[in-house]
Amino acid sequence: MSYYIGTDTGGTFTDCVAASRDGRLVYSKSLTTKDDPSRGVLAGIDLLAESLAVSTSELLAQTDRVGHGSTVGTNIIVEHRGARILLLTTAGHGDALFLMRGGHARVVGVPREMVYSLHDTNLPPALVDRDRVVEIHERVDAHGSIVAPLDEERARTSIGLALRDHQVDAVAICLLWSFKNPVHERRLAEIVTELAPEVFVSQSHQVSPRTGEYERAAATVINALVGPASTTYLERLAENLSDRGFHGALHTMQSNGGVVPREVAVEQPLVLVDSGPAGGLRGAATLARSQGHTHVLATDMGGTSFDVGLIIDGHPVVADDKTLARHTFTLPHLDVQSIACGGGSIARVDQHANSIRVGPESAGSEPGPACYGRGGRRATVTDADVVLGLVRADGFLDGRMPLDSNASHVVVGQLADQLGLTVEEAAAGIIKINNSAAATLVRQRTLEEGYDPRDFVLYAYGGAGPVHAFGFGTELGVKEVVIPLGNGASTLSAFGIASSGVAEYFDTECSLRAPLDSEAVAVTVAEAEQAAWNIVTDQGFAKDAIVIERFAMMRYAEQFMQSLAVRIPDGPITDGSVQQIMESFDAEYTRLYGAAARAVFQAVEIFDIQVRVSVPLEFSDRLAASDSGDHDPSPVTGARHVYWPDAGEWIDTDIVDGVGLRADMTVNGPAIVELPHTAVAVATGQHLRRNTIGSLVLTMNEQVQS
Amino acid sequence: MTAQLDRQTLPAGFFDGVAQCYAPPEELAIDAGLSLHGETAESVDPITYEVVRYSLLNTNFEHGNLIKRLCVSPVVMIALDFQTSVLLEDGDLVLLGPNLQYFSNSQSFTAKWILEHRSANGGIESGDMFLSSDPFVGAPHQPDVCVSAPVFVDGRLFCWVANVMNHTDVGGNTPGSFCLSATDSWGDPPNIPPIKLVAGGQLQTDVEDMFVRQSRMPAMARMDLRAAVSGNEFARERILTLVERYGADVVKAVMRRSMDAAENLFVERLRSIPDGTWSHRAYTESDVPGDDGIYRYQVNVHKRGDRLYVDNEGTDPQSGSINCPYVAFVGAVLCALTQQLTSDLGGAYGGVYRRVTFDPIPGTLNCPSHPAAVSPAGAFTTEMNINAAALAIGRMMGCGDDTVRDLILGPVVPHAYGVIYAGAYNDGTPFIMINSNGITGAGAGRPGADGIDAGGQYWVPEAITYNVENTEAQQAVLYLYRRFDTDAHAGAGKHRGGPGFVECTIPHHAAALQISLYSNESFTKGPGLAGGSPNGRAWLKVMRSTDIRQRLASGEVPQDLDSIAGANEQTYFKGAPIDVGPDDVFAWSFPTNAGYGDPLLRDPAAVATDVLDGRLTAAEAAEVYGVVIANSIVDAHSTSAKRSEAFAARTGKAVDDNPAPRSGARRVSESLAVLENEFVCARCGAAVGPAMGNFKDHALQRRVPITDIGPGFDGGDPRMSAKMEFREFFCGSCGVRFDTEIAAVDDEPLWDLRIDPARS
Repeated sequence: MSYYIGTDTGGTFTDCVAASRDGRLVYSKSLTTKDDPSRGVLAGIDLLAESLAVSTSELLAQTDRVGHGSTVGTNIIVEHRGARILLLTTAGHGDALFLMRGGHARVVGVPREMVYSLHDTNLPPALVDRDRVVEIHERVDAHGSIVAPLDEERARTSIGLALRDHQVDAVAICLLWSFKNPVHERRLAEIVTELAPEVFVSQSHQVSPRTGEYERAAATVINALVGPASTTYLERLAENLSDRGFHGALHTMQSNGGVVPREVAVEQPLVLVDSGPAGGLRGAATLARSQGHTHVLATDMGGTSFDVGLIIDGHPVVADDKTLARHTFTLPHLDVQSIACGGGSIARVDQHANSIRVGPESAGSEPGPACYGRGGRRATVTDADVVLGLVRADGFLDGRMPLDSNASHVVVGQLADQLGLTVEEAAAGIIKINNSAAATLVRQRTLEEGYDPRDFVLYAYGGAGPVHAFGFGTELGVKEVVIPLGNGASTLSAFGIASSGVAEYFDTECSLRAPLDSEAVAVTVAEAEQAAWNIVTDQGFAKDAIVIERFAMMRYAEQFMQSLAVRIPDGPITDGSVQQIMESFDAEYTRLYGAAARAVFQAVEIFDIQVRVSVPLEFSDRLAASDSGDHDPSPVTGARHVYWPDAGEWIDTDIVDGVGLRADMTVNGPAIVELPHTAVAVATGQHLRRNTIGSLVLTMNEQVQS
Repeated sequence: MTAQLDRQTLPAGFFDGVAQCYAPPEELAIDAGLSLHGETAESVDPITYEVVRYSLLNTNFEHGNLIKRLCVSPVVMIALDFQTSVLLEDGDLVLLGPNLQYFSNSQSFTAKWILEHRSANGGIESGDMFLSSDPFVGAPHQPDVCVSAPVFVDGRLFCWVANVMNHTDVGGNTPGSFCLSATDSWGDPPNIPPIKLVAGGQLQTDVEDMFVRQSRMPAMARMDLRAAVSGNEFARERILTLVERYGADVVKAVMRRSMDAAENLFVERLRSIPDGTWSHRAYTESDVPGDDGIYRYQVNVHKRGDRLYVDNEGTDPQSGSINCPYVAFVGAVLCALTQQLTSDLGGAYGGVYRRVTFDPIPGTLNCPSHPAAVSPAGAFTTEMNINAAALAIGRMMGCGDDTVRDLILGPVVPHAYGVIYAGAYNDGTPFIMINSNGITGAGAGRPGADGIDAGGQYWVPEAITYNVENTEAQQAVLYLYRRFDTDAHAGAGKHRGGPGFVECTIPHHAAALQISLYSNESFTKGPGLAGGSPNGRAWLKVMRSTDIRQRLASGEVPQDLDSIAGANEQTYFKGAPIDVGPDDVFAWSFPTNAGYGDPLLRDPAAVATDVLDGRLTAAEAAEVYGVVIANSIVDAHSTSAKRSEAFAARTGKAVDDNPAPRSGARRVSESLAVLENEFVCARCGAAVGPAMGNFKDHALQRRVPITDIGPGFDGGDPRMSAKMEFREFFCGSCGVRFDTEIAAVDDEPLWDLRIDPARS
């Protein structure tokens, strides 16, 4: 038997999944060890071995690959614990990272309701101190021509002085137009390495070869900030695994939804940052494929946020513009968007309108909802769940964290009094408003992609997703909601990491305008493809395992906020394939914006060739969850009163033990299916069953609303 | 002051949108054949209210996002020079998008005019959309094209969705359609009154062709217009989906209730402010290129109980091309008001507007009559009116309680300084680009904090600045540098203004390059609040026949224009377009914004940080702030002595080193308070005259030439700068600076802070 292991180090828990080649799955959850996260990973792997009744060294010896994702990089940036760095820029442009993009920088990553508020928003903190920026005399123009040659001696002197004045672990280099002609950037990297051989060097033409010096500098600097620590951490993890008998490959998860070998990742650790949401979406995609679901709304509702990714035609949607710590940069990544809407979202009275607002403020996990008993004094979504009976106060986190139901009643009651509502009416209102906000984000995302949410299957995971999906699923009009892997929904990201193949993206900017010259397109694509091929084969992948996909990033000329990825047909580029590219663009544009929006009078352009290189993982489609085999013939363990928001009344509701649920059994709403880490609410008229891979499938009411 | 409010009422229908700017009447004259949906559900539960409100907010956002994706004008998709709205059936604003804020009422005016003038003849029907670019109706200037869509439910007009966007070129005598040399409507782009662009769902290509035909960039104009149509279609569909689900009466009730909520919040904040009148008089120069005149815009804000009344008395008669259409003037005032006092309303400003009454004097620079030229308003005069309104409103808020005073954001810089590039590449391809990087902005100092460095201009708070690489990819130019401005004297204050920036550029691969709409100001135009120093002077420098090519070829990128050998050419505030040759270099500045409060009150530690960050030299710290820095740290003893010396220099006598304020005084500004019907110094308690009078008459005054504020304030045309002076008003006892004024030498100090006698 051989295994793939996926591990995901989060803020609180480290999740692990082992998947055998034949599709059997086991999960574990251990505490994250912040001082050395690799210990938490090893503890999780110990638990996996225990479930499989083998020793850790036996398990690791049979493991082909360990995939690993972590929040290490994200935390470094968010908590401002990055490496000590220097930034080298073209002379005259050392302020670019501080000018950012004007007022827009104030609202990046800010909830919609706060965008207007000039009083409550500010620019993000700068990524580097201004006195760590060294301006270098050199200049390349937009065509890649050298306008001013690099003054090497002057550069060597100023870099030398800066290295002497500041202790430095890493140097970021971002020169104007370096991605059109990297010769100066490369030469500076050599000079830095000569002067300080130990420092980590981050070059913008490698990290993010795209137009826009602010975004490219942000990417290059973040890469430098996380570089040294990522290298150290991953080396330690590799050593620890090897000490325990692991001889396979250690791969790391990226935000693009694929993994890369550790040795590749440490060269460009930016790709590792924020890989968690990508792991979840990748996990959903793998499960969706095994179930034949081609169009999926992958939603993750946790304590503070609600994340939405889309799977269309079996592929997770990819985007280029990425935001981290409220700075923006360009990096192909799985497009998971987020709003502040989760269990911790705070409800308050809008006195001027005599109404309830929910979020964007969140109680997070500290102090958390009032029912956590950690000092939270304001009503949250979770408090509303407790009041309504959707969440059982003594069943939270497998009973390990009893909730203070009285506290929930008090805080929601205060809100209700202000509005002249009963406590249950107020609680139901909080849930409805929260669900409506969640549905709004999902609907926006599908509309942006030109689809109707009703044509999708909704996957709901995260601690607060399954308990609310009955509501926002109804709101969206979907027919089916899947709680992926049932209780395994809480380790979905680790599963996604275990099931991900290698993926890398390479961009080459260009300006090819219609009417497209097939020879020019062929040359540009061939160069882009060759460059990618050279890099990937140097990384040691078997040539026959490599899959190359090519995309033309297109728009009407000068539509700078527009970007449509059009797949370039495989094989050599001919007049026919160029025509096919144009037809695909027209069809996609028309589908998205209507025939009237199409413009016969404006030239279409290809502004970037994106090459996706992947090495797919052999992963079984015949998944099967480990099964305790210990089924209760009647999983209904009891009943309690639950106040259902839509019905607006207390209803006797079955309580079902989700772990003991057999695959062929159907639960009819109203019911609450309880699982160790979450609960699934099944409203009247809805049905739930468990499928063979352990996912819980909620079938919605027949009549649906738009 | 009551005399202003009682001004002779003009005949009904006077502000008709034809001979005069349109001012919508209270009661619209709508043809009886058009049925309006006026019903409101009696009660909507708090939960449904919130769900519908949130959906409306998102509809408006999505409307804007769709426009950004579909249009091709950088000024729209990057600078966000556009706006979306949801309006009631009668055209009153419900929700404004987060984009250009002085477009606040443009769509409302336009919809009301359409209701009055198209409901009988032409008709307003389901599936229609109207195009309008007439500044005498509702367009802030001709390039701001409004497309309005009535939304019908069951044959009745339920509401409107609309957008306005700044088109890159809509005709007129100048590329880019900011026609500085126009002296009347016939030098401006055409004024197109509301005309049916879409009839019953069908795009009228004859109308589209007529509009596109006026533009130098017809393909761009067509793309942008279609983006506007698609945006409205989307928003209309979303509203109809909401109506279908919740019912028309419920959705309408939510619209009205969100307006009530906004009104309640506004009134609550207004209540902490005593009744009174606050004013600002702003000056500009050159009504057309070459003119050496100076001109006044005045904004007067009167608070009476729970309402505000706004007029423009004191403004000069309309002249040249510096006229600001009335709709833009109203938009400017409402923008300065909502952004400062109610920016937490999330764009639901309609209820605030209910409480503001305008009483304009026609034939003036900010309420011009037809056929005044207005097309440059979008870059110059509208911003100047926002600046003036923000200062008047800031003074008013300074008299409120601490909560309201802390909401002051201060002025925006008085113009949207920028440059238009036009020319041709070496291969002959032409280009025009509005360099709108001025929207990078710089916040003014404010009661609680310094101005934000590059945090945008709050009249277009989310706008995106171009990267240097974006500009170089599209235009035949190459930047030598773009960096923060370091003028230490500009924007000094207890809380200093945010720095502006400087761009220095050369032509690159250009067969021809011409720059226009630049600004080399003769004098700074924006004072700070409460004794803060003015914003910097915007400048343009052109160096001819330089050695720049040799310098670059040798591996040096010059970083200081003054270090480049060449001939410096005198430029003007509004000069003719300048041809830039291959060896010429030009640089322009976006000035540092104004400060708040007397610079001598600034926390010395903050000054030391500014020195460390390279914003100030130690010498400037001593000169401007009286702070002595030695080895990067504050020398407290020397600083105290230095500051006493500076205060004493103002009063001409020794001052108390430890002044104490009088207890029980109510602050009306940073350093001014009122105690028992008397102005007193908030720092030392000295009396500054009766509270019913102008404190300036009882303060110590110093007047200096406007060019003497600091080294950066000189360099413009002396014909205009000689007409202006900088005035400071100090406490005669302790020397603190209460306020400043930029004024024409012959003008009396303005009575800009008047508190009404308390009513019993």
